[in-house]
Amino acid sequence: MAVVGCMRPFLVDSGKVRATYSLVANTLFLWFLRGEESGSGRMSMDAGRGTSPPSEGGTANAVETKGLTKTYGKTVALDNLSTTVEEGKILVLLGPNGSGKTTFLHLIATVLKPTGGTALVMGYDIVREPQKVREVVAISFQDPRGFWRHKPRHILSFHASMYGVSGIDRERVVDDALREFQLWESRDKRFMTLSGGQAKRLEVAKLFVHIPKLAIFDEPTAMVDLDGKRMIWDKIRSLKEKGSTVIVATNEVREAEYLADRISIFTRGREVVSDTLVNLKDSVRGGDVVNLEFASPVDKETIDAIRELPGTEDAVLIDTAKVRARVSRSEDWLPSMTSALYARGIRLASIRVEEPSLDDVFMLHTGSTSVGSG
Amino acid sequence: MNTKALASLFAFDFWEAFDSISWVVYFWFYFAFQFFVYGSLMANLVVTVNNYFFYYGAGLVVLLSFNVASWAGRRFVESAHEGRLRYLLSLPIGRGELFVSQLMLGVAVNLTRMVPPLVLVLWLSGLFTPWALVTSVLVLCAIATGIIGLMVSLSVIAFRSFDIYSAIVAALSALLIRFSTINYPISSMTAPYAAVSEFNPVTYGSDLFRRALGFNTSLLIDPYLATAVVVALCVGTLFVGMFFLSHVVEGVRSS
Repeated sequence: MAVVGCMRPFLVDSGKVRATYSLVANTLFLWFLRGEESGSGRMSMDAGRGTSPPSEGGTANAVETKGLTKTYGKTVALDNLSTTVEEGKILVLLGPNGSGKTTFLHLIATVLKPTGGTALVMGYDIVREPQKVREVVAISFQDPRGFWRHKPRHILSFHASMYGVSGIDRERVVDDALREFQLWESRDKRFMTLSGGQAKRLEVAKLFVHIPKLAIFDEPTAMVDLDGKRMIWDKIRSLKEKGSTVIVATNEVREAEYLADRISIFTRGREVVSDTLVNLKDSVRGGDVVNLEFASPVDKETIDAIRELPGTEDAVLIDTAKVRARVSRSEDWLPSMTSALYARGIRLASIRVEEPSLDDVFMLHTGSTSVGSG
Repeated sequence: MNTKALASLFAFDFWEAFDSISWVVYFWFYFAFQFFVYGSLMANLVVTVNNYFFYYGAGLVVLLSFNVASWAGRRFVESAHEGRLRYLLSLPIGRGELFVSQLMLGVAVNLTRMVPPLVLVLWLSGLFTPWALVTSVLVLCAIATGIIGLMVSLSVIAFRSFDIYSAIVAALSALLIRFSTINYPISSMTAPYAAVSEFNPVTYGSDLFRRALGFNTSLLIDPYLATAVVVALCVGTLFVGMFFLSHVVEGVRSS
């Protein structure tokens, strides 16, 4: 708190500055709290992004792979993947076309057979105990196809029956799912007459007529309108609240940010990074852009002083009283910056921090400019 | 075996197969046209076989049964390319149960399409008895099972190339039908033709079927040998199909 207090003298009294003060004070307060919890002194943004810290004592893994590989002739679709998915969490897979996301999902759903390596799903081996795996896993495929003459009500009822949902319960859960996924009006239409969005909602709805221990969604909101997307996201999060582990492959950054406890980035059949959203953003060197507005015009020495601060990648004067700095880990950089300016007797009018986007993270790790299906 | 899941899967598929009743009616019309028009013309040309009209009718039932059984195998292949198979493979049922459900579907579709024509042939030929109906239906089921098993086994090729699969199935079907006793008894064939036909399981199937109907036995192959070949075809293709589905078949490669 002493840090916050020492900032008061060089902040002018205006509405803009009050907002800035509030931002900085909150930032430092969170940083302080996090430092107490972890002893690392590192600020957490988790609370604001809907992610949760790992439970104490650790948790079991829903999925564990070791050297999991899938090849088609000379083409390597998944290359020596060793990863884990924590039980009760939502893992989001991001990657460009052909990066191996869908192959990974199909392997752990036992739809495909691995060429090499092993994978345990809820403790069951996908090669030796595929039947056990299928009893605890359910998958919503990327492109809903192949039912043609069936009707949504029949498809959901059939799916529920395959997972052992009995007669009366089945009717109830199917009706609920049809209503919740806005398919009630289309419940007796043939599958081939449904729109792309309706077919996709139906594909996703299959996983809500029973509660699988591991729910897998391959691009769950592709072809779905904006309202539908939000509804599906909320439903996926509700699965987690009911105790399911969820894996989502997506090409929508917004979807990943909304859902993920953890994000894995795939490229060329490999998982290049897997971490929380916060840590992934922090991994972008110089990714935070800090816009500083001063109470009066700044001189070159001030800019040089900012450039010399630890964590500064670059600082440029964009106006007589405005400086834009690219920094790493702005939560660490801001206190040292304010202290340095205070020491020089320079007053700040406002501070605005822009974090790197998930797109930036994606580009950093894959070298690709866009996220795509794979 | 999870019989509940098996029954659910069978009912789900069967409902879809019979959703369009007009195709079934069209099928019966096709049979009737082929039997009465083409059969009558053929009966005037083939004089070496007594009562060839009904001999032809029985062969036509086997031929169409072969086609329907082939359809069941082709449907399995198409289900893979349409994305349905990967869904089925993800469900909590064994590969064996999945294979059995495909067989059950093929046999059930076969019976619902072929029993009315079979009754017609039996009735018109004056051979209709409940015993003849039951035994001939059993033989048809056995033939259908063997053909479905064969076609599902061949589906492994389709996962590599649908074109190659189609070509192989078309050629194999033509050979199995042409070089068999579906249209003519072995005694009416030229020596080379007869020699090849004796190695064809469809020959034994169609002769066993005619024997079950109560046809003139002098034209037909020994029933014990025919039964042995048909049973061997069923068991053999079942094992091969089951093996492929359990160990080789997987969801078609993702895009």
